[in-house]
Amino acid sequence: MSWVKENCVSFFQLFCIKVVKSGRIPQHIAFIMDGNRRFAKKNSVKTSVGHHKGFDKLSETLKWCLDLGVPEVTVYAFSIENFKRSDEEVSALMDLARDKFKRLLDEIDLINEWGVRLHIAGRLSLLPDDLRSLVSQAMLATKHNNILQLNIAYAYTGRDEISRAASHIIDGVQNNELTADDIDENLVSQTLDLGEAELLVRTSGEVRLSDFMLWQVSRTVLYFSDVLWPEFTIWNLLAAIIHFQRHAPPLLPEIENSRSKQEFLDKLENKRWKNLQSLVSY
Amino acid sequence: MLSRLIRQFLFIIVHLIVNILVAVQNVYHRFWVKKRKVFSDEVTKSDIMIIMEHAPKMKNRLKHLVFLADTNHHSISDLARVVIWSLISGVPYVSFYDITGELKQNEEKLFWAIEKNKKGIPGCIKWSNKPDLNGYTYGMNANKIIINIFNYMNGRPQIVNCIKQIAKGEVLCKKKSTEYTTQEFGEALIQTYSLIPDPDLILYTGPLCCSYGLMPWQIRLTEFIQLSLDHSVNIDSYLGALFKYNKCDQRFGK
Repeated sequence: MSWVKENCVSFFQLFCIKVVKSGRIPQHIAFIMDGNRRFAKKNSVKTSVGHHKGFDKLSETLKWCLDLGVPEVTVYAFSIENFKRSDEEVSALMDLARDKFKRLLDEIDLINEWGVRLHIAGRLSLLPDDLRSLVSQAMLATKHNNILQLNIAYAYTGRDEISRAASHIIDGVQNNELTADDIDENLVSQTLDLGEAELLVRTSGEVRLSDFMLWQVSRTVLYFSDVLWPEFTIWNLLAAIIHFQRHAPPLLPEIENSRSKQEFLDKLENKRWKNLQSLVSY
Repeated sequence: MLSRLIRQFLFIIVHLIVNILVAVQNVYHRFWVKKRKVFSDEVTKSDIMIIMEHAPKMKNRLKHLVFLADTNHHSISDLARVVIWSLISGVPYVSFYDITGELKQNEEKLFWAIEKNKKGIPGCIKWSNKPDLNGYTYGMNANKIIINIFNYMNGRPQIVNCIKQIAKGEVLCKKKSTEYTTQEFGEALIQTYSLIPDPDLILYTGPLCCSYGLMPWQIRLTEFIQLSLDHSVNIDSYLGALFKYNKCDQRFGK
């Protein structure tokens, strides 16, 4: 299946989306797509089928988010801890990712038409070389799209993300790009892979973060749904958004960076892109 | 233009319906709870009996419970009761996360409220930031509980401080490759915290589930469990939450 599923929204659903859209829409939604394996078990199919169904659901969700006008979506696809799973399951998950990123590169014109920008957040050095090359190509190929940013947390944990951000900042101080007094919450937030989410949805009834976006959720509305991820529907998403509209804390004003901080962040960004370019040919 | 007006009208209707449903649910809940029993402001004998009866059934032993304390909704005696119930249940660490910033100012009131409720109950209560005032226990096997009050400053600002200290060379943090691993940075960070286990359970009340900035590093595996929808704190919902925690199955990525 394609990355953004077309024709998955009925006229009535689109009408409901438009009604909900009259209110405040979260500018960044994060999903913990939990329940693929339980779905497979429930339906007596292989685990890998559950994961495939999970990906299909992601492509539907992306379409709903595009229709809702959500500009940023983050999904937790693979945690560093998931490397502990059986070799068979890990390699099936890596194959699924390979397949989907190849698919994305094949249909890049369509992705660019949708305006989806892809960002893979995580410790890329833990990925197999060929997959790392594919995700780098995907990020570079969608770099200029600006309608929906899709962040995929892959080989990711929140603690690892904070640790890597700390390394970059400390390197910045050691290279005299920053002073120790420049270090503040705002700088750390901007050095991380992922921005702050306004709504976090976790499916399958679990009520924990499982090391996802630990830094970023301090003002996030956490919404836990009992439904398994492959069974997640537009109505579950709309219910989450109505819950958000009822309880979301007010937006905070943006803080402007000082010149030295901005220069440091720009340099870091450039370094990241150069690094991705070097990863393309492995 | 007209369709936009219709959409906005329907939007208001949808939210109105949700508001009415929630209000009905709240009224029903209050009526039902009040009809069944009146909950006391203090820990009663029946509270003790009910915990003594149910606590041993819980296999998943809770080490650290954090209560998201909102002084706009919770009274000092609500918080004191949570401490005493946890003492009886055998939870060794109970912490309050001070959302509004008013709890720290009222720490002494909380101390006295806990002392008042504790009368006659075996066990030892220790405040992490105070010397042992009541280190006496009744019997050797009495439970011990350590109380902490955390606020926003123990979260992100403390991580920022740690990064600053490493950058200044005041704290040593070595890395084997170009970037810190979780273990390398984590070792430096936990030195800045007192040695307490990561929270296993966060209890919150009300419809909104939010971490409010509670120690990001420590809450990676913490379960968020709602104590009540209407901010009430009573023994039934406390035990219900503990049972719910017991059903949680941690897979640690596997």
